[in-house]
Amino acid sequence: MTMKPFALSHLSLRLRVFLFFAGLAIGAVVLLGLGLMLGYRRLGSPETLNAFVQGGIIGSFGVVGLTAAVWYLFDVNVSKPIDQLAGALRARAHADVAAVLDPNVARYLGDLAPAAQATTLSLSETRNALAEAVARETTRLSAEKDKLVALLSDVPVGVLLCSGDHQLVFYNGMAVDLIGAAAKGILPGLDRNLFDYLREGPIRHAHHRLIEAEDPDAASDLLCSTRDGSEMLAARMRLLPNQAGDTAPGYVLTLRDVTADLAVHAAREALLSEMLDRVRRPAANLRALLAVLPEGIASPPAMDAALRQEADDLSKVVTELAKRLEEGRAEAIPRAPLRVADLTDGLRARLEAKGLTLATEDAPLLLRCDGFEVVVLLAHVTLGIAVLHSVQQFSLTIEEDGTDAMLRLTWAGPALRVGQLETWLDAPLDEDAPGLTGRHVLMGHGTEVWPEALADGWQSVCLPLRITRHAGPRPKPIARAVVYDFDLLGKARNEKVAEANLADLIYVVFDTETTGLLPGQGDEIVQIAAVRIVNGKRVEAEVFDTLVNPGRSIPAASTAVHGITEAMVQGAPDIATAGRAFHKFAEGAVLIAHNAPFDMAFLRRHEPTIGARFDNPILDTVLLSAVIFGQHEEHSLDALTHRLSITIPEEARHTAIGDSLATADAFLKLLPMLHGRGLTRFGAVLTELRRHGRLLKDLN
Amino acid sequence: MPTEQGKRHSVLVVEDEDNIALALDYLMTREGYAHDRVANGGEALTRIREMRPDLVLLDVMLPEMSGYEICQGMRLDPELAGIKILMMTARGSAMERKKGLALGANGFISKPFELAELRAEVRRLLES
Repeated sequence: MTMKPFALSHLSLRLRVFLFFAGLAIGAVVLLGLGLMLGYRRLGSPETLNAFVQGGIIGSFGVVGLTAAVWYLFDVNVSKPIDQLAGALRARAHADVAAVLDPNVARYLGDLAPAAQATTLSLSETRNALAEAVARETTRLSAEKDKLVALLSDVPVGVLLCSGDHQLVFYNGMAVDLIGAAAKGILPGLDRNLFDYLREGPIRHAHHRLIEAEDPDAASDLLCSTRDGSEMLAARMRLLPNQAGDTAPGYVLTLRDVTADLAVHAAREALLSEMLDRVRRPAANLRALLAVLPEGIASPPAMDAALRQEADDLSKVVTELAKRLEEGRAEAIPRAPLRVADLTDGLRARLEAKGLTLATEDAPLLLRCDGFEVVVLLAHVTLGIAVLHSVQQFSLTIEEDGTDAMLRLTWAGPALRVGQLETWLDAPLDEDAPGLTGRHVLMGHGTEVWPEALADGWQSVCLPLRITRHAGPRPKPIARAVVYDFDLLGKARNEKVAEANLADLIYVVFDTETTGLLPGQGDEIVQIAAVRIVNGKRVEAEVFDTLVNPGRSIPAASTAVHGITEAMVQGAPDIATAGRAFHKFAEGAVLIAHNAPFDMAFLRRHEPTIGARFDNPILDTVLLSAVIFGQHEEHSLDALTHRLSITIPEEARHTAIGDSLATADAFLKLLPMLHGRGLTRFGAVLTELRRHGRLLKDLN
Repeated sequence: MPTEQGKRHSVLVVEDEDNIALALDYLMTREGYAHDRVANGGEALTRIREMRPDLVLLDVMLPEMSGYEICQGMRLDPELAGIKILMMTARGSAMERKKGLALGANGFISKPFELAELRAEVRRLLES
């Protein structure tokens, strides 16, 4: 009995209603039969049997017919519309269907259809509002993210975020500059270990201390040094809020290079104490000698010689120390090199705003100076001259003079007196920089300014500034991008590659260009490029790309393919250097190449000279393609990328970096397909690949 | 020291520090030059015009008018063009030397100097 309603509830509504009516009809027929039978027995006359049976049949047909008619009307006007309405509501609830419900379908269901219509309308409105709100929020967040990225990429300190196990999760361009240079060719990358770049002692210490402090606002200042000890960095560490709870919390590390500051400071300290020491001695001696001499009496010859000797020593010491102090001072001024053109532009703008004209010329020099200070000083002097001598037109020339560049402001008119110039130097230069006078600027730059008369009634004011170096073409702006993947913060790590999830592994996808196809017969690599995939995403900023000097000629036929000429590889590193750098770049990653055995053959031949073995796990996109698309398909890179709708720009095809990118993108599209095949772990993929290994040699 | 014409060279010392002026006075006398001293920068040009010395020993840091200013003033006056100028300074950086020479000084010597060095420089300028 308990089974029945349970079973009924699984039948469709229409079937249940049908069964209900059928039950009703059968019940009525049975009751009719029973009633007639009872009447027949009570009557007790057998000849009336036919009449009873006839009446029963007619009655039964009548009951069945009436029930069927009522069922039909009920089915068409109630059951079916309810089913349709339910289906329509489901569509609106689960799939995003917004069409209006047909009102005729359920016109006998009273207010049900309009009520359902009102509900779906309100659902669709809510849905739209939600979608709009989400879109608005997403836009706002992404705008905010862009602003933060711009800000963090431009702050003049290195910013790093590390997970609790010291893997990089975030870094900005400045951090790359600070810690990358010392790591010998291998720039910081996501999920690389911080201690590949910085010595671990002070960092571990600060990390432990902050964890023990249990104060979320605590920060720890520390001094750390790069791996090779060439740079000293002042750092501040702050813990990140720990979501997971069970692992050690990650942290933010801000870095500032203090190597130069410390060195200058130390040199100054040393000079100062040496100065005191060396001046004190002759001064004390002089005083002692003079103290024992009676005043006004000629000194005895020995005493006289001693006095002269001491005085002589004292002045020599002072002269020498003063010279060293001056030499050190120029180096002590920490200033970014400034282009002459930037300086002249700034000055011209300032003077033109005051109605003066300035003719300038450019010189390919970078100057060691503070652009703002020098511009306001020159502008102040120029305005003074303009007012004093009613001059409107000036010009600024720059000539090289040994280690200095001589800036010369010239005009036609009466000479400028030094006394006048010196009073201008004592006055504040600019209201935006209170307290800044010309003397401060000159002192800070270790220079002087003076007037000089030129031929034909031309006058000039000279200002020498130290040249940092000759300017080449403006360097390409460094990609000051910030690189991050915060998912790495809570990532569980699996030590065994075979058991690791495919998406959790780090991949380095690479490609080489070569002098030919036969590594066994002397062909060599001319270009290596690689990209990194971390946490299932290609890291745009982490790219390896180098030409390699093959140490042999490049056949014209090969140049025709990859466009690399002998002239291009002239200054390039040899395979030992490039291979070592590539080995570093690929550290801890699975290597992927399209037709990996070819590229690996070139690399492995040079393992002895490189001094490292390429023992990384290896995947081959040719084999992966065979696993996914079957062995009978074509597996060239072009065919594979075409199948996966990846376009390789024509100019990038057959460049190592272009093909690496295409292979990486293909691999990223193959990943979910492998997943769909149930191949989620690296070991499982390897086993599957080995079955296809007859296509190509397995490298693992 | 008399020249071939029998005329003694004359030197004007412009120096505000009395002790060094005393030493210079002593040296000039020993060398046989006619000499005089001004302690104030403001009076220097007037004295130079009156005295017309062969050489001015000119300190840079002076009250009222700096050595550079006096130097420029002399070079702007054609009548004083022939007078040699030897500048002396206690700081004596390369930049100051450049500035002094650019303003028309004939020589530049930093303090503390050795007497022999100063004597040689004065001789060189007077005899050139």
